[in-house]
Amino acid sequence: MDARNETVATNDTRTDRRSEREVVVTRTFNGPARIVFDAWTKPELIMKWWTPKSFGITFISCEADVRAGGTYRFVMGHPSFDQPMAFFGRYLEVDPPRRLVWTNEEGEAGSVTTVTFEERDGKTHLVLSDLYPSKAALDEAMASGSINGYPEQFAQLDRLLSSRA
Amino acid sequence: MTLTGMKKHVSVLEHAGLVVTEKIGRVRTCRLGVSRLEQEAAWIERYRQLWAARFDELDKVVEELKQKEKANGREK
Repeated sequence: MDARNETVATNDTRTDRRSEREVVVTRTFNGPARIVFDAWTKPELIMKWWTPKSFGITFISCEADVRAGGTYRFVMGHPSFDQPMAFFGRYLEVDPPRRLVWTNEEGEAGSVTTVTFEERDGKTHLVLSDLYPSKAALDEAMASGSINGYPEQFAQLDRLLSSRA
Repeated sequence: MTLTGMKKHVSVLEHAGLVVTEKIGRVRTCRLGVSRLEQEAAWIERYRQLWAARFDELDKVVEELKQKEKANGREK
């Protein structure tokens, strides 16, 4: 690997409130777009990374019919929850290995998530945008404390992980 | 400061999320609140942490897939 290209720079996850109803995450991955795109669209691969271990959340099932109009349903469990949590929605655009757009329908006024994969020199620059239907919807999501549908307490990482970051 | 002026002053602070007020009977109590800006910054930071944690795992998946492709040679 190029010595100037340290992992610190590569693994820098940035977030930004881009507008009053949009938040954006950016990150670069050490692999071609087709591989990164696969990891976002094949259920057996999604299950490997979507629920970070530090959250204590585990997959119960993961279904994803990845084509425009297709639906997805992720069901997850947590020891402190009686009921499993379901996350679901529809894919609006599927353009491998460049672009993926889906809805988040588990709550009211959920965001539409757009992910773009841009390959440069064998690496993939990823931009994820959560666009809420209104400023009020994003403000409310922020006020509720939940992150992408995860209740606030699960969106708190343990100290070990945050000190490592 | 007049009472009207005070009310206006407090309402500006309240609107900015700097104070939270509660009226019980004739008494309105003010306390310092977490400003919306702070709340937003905290939320964005937790949002970043969620994705950073996911992406650290995703790095491993990408690495695995790259190795698998290498092992499979030019099969595809």
